[in-house]
Amino acid sequence: MGSNQSTETKQIRSPREKVILIGNPNVGKSVIFNYLTGKYAIVSNYPGTTVEVSSGTLSAHGKRFQVMDTPGVNSLIPMSEDERVTRDILLQPSKSHLVQVIDTKNIRRGLLISLQLLEMGLPFTVLLNMWDEAKSRGIEINIQELSKMLGVPILKTVATRRKGLEKIKENLKARPSSSIPIHYPEAIEEGILRITPLLPEATLSKRSLALMLLSGDESLTQWLNDHLPEDVISQIEKIRQETQVYFSDSIGYLINQARLKKVDECLSKVMRGRGEAPRSISSFLGKLSLHPFWGFPILLIVLWITYEVVGVFGAQTSVKFLEETLFGKWLLPPLITLIQHILPIPLLQEFLIGPYGIITMALTYALAIVLPIVGCFFLIFGLMEDSGYLPRLAVMTNHIFKKMGLNGKAVLPMVLGLGCDTMATMTTRILETEKDRTIVTLLLALGIPCSAQLGVILGMFASLPLFYLLLWIFIIAGLLVVVGYLASRVIPGEESDFILEIPPLRVPLISNVVVKTLARIEWYLKEAVPLFILGTFILFILHKTKILTFLEWAATPLIVHLLGLPAKVTEAFLIGFLRRDYGAAGLFMLSKVGQLNPHQILVSLVTITLFVPCIAQFFMMAKERGLKKAFLISAVIVPLAFGVGGVVNLVLTFFGA
Amino acid sequence: MNRGSDLIKGPHRRRWGPQKEVEEDRVEELLELIWTLREKGVFDLDRLLETTSDIEAKSILRWMIRDDLFEMEGNRVILKERGEEKAREIIRRHRLTERLLHEIFEMSEEEVEEEACKLEHILSPTVTDSVCTFLGHPPTCIHGKPIPRGECCTKFKKEIKPLVIPLDELGLSEEGRIVFIAPKSHQRLDRLSTLGIVPGSVLRMHQKSPSFVLQIGETMLALDKEIVRNIYVKKV
Repeated sequence: MGSNQSTETKQIRSPREKVILIGNPNVGKSVIFNYLTGKYAIVSNYPGTTVEVSSGTLSAHGKRFQVMDTPGVNSLIPMSEDERVTRDILLQPSKSHLVQVIDTKNIRRGLLISLQLLEMGLPFTVLLNMWDEAKSRGIEINIQELSKMLGVPILKTVATRRKGLEKIKENLKARPSSSIPIHYPEAIEEGILRITPLLPEATLSKRSLALMLLSGDESLTQWLNDHLPEDVISQIEKIRQETQVYFSDSIGYLINQARLKKVDECLSKVMRGRGEAPRSISSFLGKLSLHPFWGFPILLIVLWITYEVVGVFGAQTSVKFLEETLFGKWLLPPLITLIQHILPIPLLQEFLIGPYGIITMALTYALAIVLPIVGCFFLIFGLMEDSGYLPRLAVMTNHIFKKMGLNGKAVLPMVLGLGCDTMATMTTRILETEKDRTIVTLLLALGIPCSAQLGVILGMFASLPLFYLLLWIFIIAGLLVVVGYLASRVIPGEESDFILEIPPLRVPLISNVVVKTLARIEWYLKEAVPLFILGTFILFILHKTKILTFLEWAATPLIVHLLGLPAKVTEAFLIGFLRRDYGAAGLFMLSKVGQLNPHQILVSLVTITLFVPCIAQFFMMAKERGLKKAFLISAVIVPLAFGVGGVVNLVLTFFGA
Repeated sequence: MNRGSDLIKGPHRRRWGPQKEVEEDRVEELLELIWTLREKGVFDLDRLLETTSDIEAKSILRWMIRDDLFEMEGNRVILKERGEEKAREIIRRHRLTERLLHEIFEMSEEEVEEEACKLEHILSPTVTDSVCTFLGHPPTCIHGKPIPRGECCTKFKKEIKPLVIPLDELGLSEEGRIVFIAPKSHQRLDRLSTLGIVPGSVLRMHQKSPSFVLQIGETMLALDKEIVRNIYVKKV
């Protein structure tokens, strides 16, 4: 998510006049963007998933405008990647029309941004969106007065019902910028006076840049280095430090405080009424879904629906049809015959259609098995996002993840991991700190079985008493908590604060969800499928060079003596690295023909669940976390998997099970 | 009190004479000890002498008896009215200081103990009552022992209304105006401020479990307990 920044930068440089939508998260920017461009963008309730900047085209006044939808921001002094992207767009020199979207009932937070835009010296139009919701809460705003105060045009809109949006085009014309005086503490004002003469001419006012620099905005470093010599930069840093000396609080905090004071001052003149949300089914459900007691049954229902759609419909029904019927009967046989005819070279044939072939294994796997699972997951994920349930899920699970040094946001990649760990590793991007991402990546690789593997594992437990399944769950879950806890203490870095905005629960817009799901599937095909192909290719080489057989021979003593399993299991474990479910399937075959007793089944399943992830996941780990970390994580997992397997074996033998 | 030092005999007199404050502090320490031992049900003079770190305890105690602070019943130490009053005050100052340092300044228990022992001797009654009110007239110290009530507490006897409480103690669907935010990190403070969480803003407690959910304006926010604990509010 956010992979197309390079193409965006290209578009940013195009000379066409721009319309830039800006605003807090969840104010309806994307719906307005869709209205203006007639094209959908990724709309999202979950902080972190709108890292992309969508852009489209709008025709008005006989001209064509490029419309850009920026990530939601709470401040233009960046505190997050999203805010940085948005601020950087404003910093780009170009002829543009800014449209600020405000959620009317949250006008206080919206005006905090308006003030910053005014300070930057940028002309803009304000849309007071969700006007209806504010009205039903008894909030009244004197628009004329506010417009006069800010010196910008203000429109009332209800974007979801397209009310008031037609006036946006009328306002796309050049206008002088206006200003509003904000007084910061004396020492800060002095700092501004000292910094402004040092700054180059820029799109944004020098005063606003000076404020950003005073608050220690590190994201400006690149811009500074591009525009100023080193000695001036260090001079600015010196001024900043000298100014900070006057205060115990950070300058950024004081600046925000002064701005909020100004906002409150403005609002006291133009706003009346501060109402309760009217009672409605969605607000009732919204409260219920967070309730300390009722929230949990709702959570279970949501997880159950997720399981039914992803685990049953996606992983069983769809996979069965796609793999066995579509690929197995209709596509592969003619393709195999074709290749055998036109490619008479055996090695190439095997490369494409052999047991480790690109077509027979990699593509079948990526398209027939993972795609339906991931597709179903994206659909559910999109519904959760659009309805506003996602942050609630994080709230409900926060305290569990807290124990692992994470917070509730980590629930998302973990749930996705039950679908496909490779994809889940990729979505750790939604977490805020590198530390959080590393812990989740580790836990995913360690103990979250993907749906393909889970299917086979559950199938094997089906033949055993329930006790064994419960024991397996207990061991794996316990280990995840313990490892998470230890990892959070060992891995350096900052734990992220759990500060999460909870939007109201809404009925999702189906068209929005569909477009979002399709965009993500496209992303999966582009980013993950190549890794499956690479993994299969390496497996093919290992197989051809007989390294696979050698590894099998080398690992056998470990399997037989430590784990007390038959030598044949080694093969299943090695294959498991390349394809998790194949590994489990190998065990399944062995247990079917009676080579494994219940005790051995449990030991082997615990070990293979914990054992190294599949090769595609390993590559994804290397891609997201770096090769060094990927190896480190593997180095933790392998001994741990065999160690725990060995301990389980010992304990079971001791109790004579 | 000069009368008291005149009564002290022996080699220490010279040193105590001009430094009255030192003597006062030592008397207070002993009163404090008598009080805390009494809380444990110990009245025994020998135990008192064993526990005290003041090597000259005996002579000071003798002086204290003469000063009408306590009396002896056999081997039992019984505070008299004046002594009781003084002990109450010193205990109150000590335990309130502990809470202030521990909760507001987040000092460790050892640091707290050391500082509280110094501060207990210098706080004036007015400052003590202000601290008590600021902390919301807490009934117990950080170790769970009772804090003797003061004048300021009885004023609120009917309804003990704390002035400033940590946000996590705000009741469900109650509203509080932020008084200050104890900064854990500058970055966190900056981030909270962009969401409108600054001193002066009004927050409403929506729920406390499984996570804290607060409402500010029309925005609902979920926050960690550590963050919530560092925000201090006044009920509105």
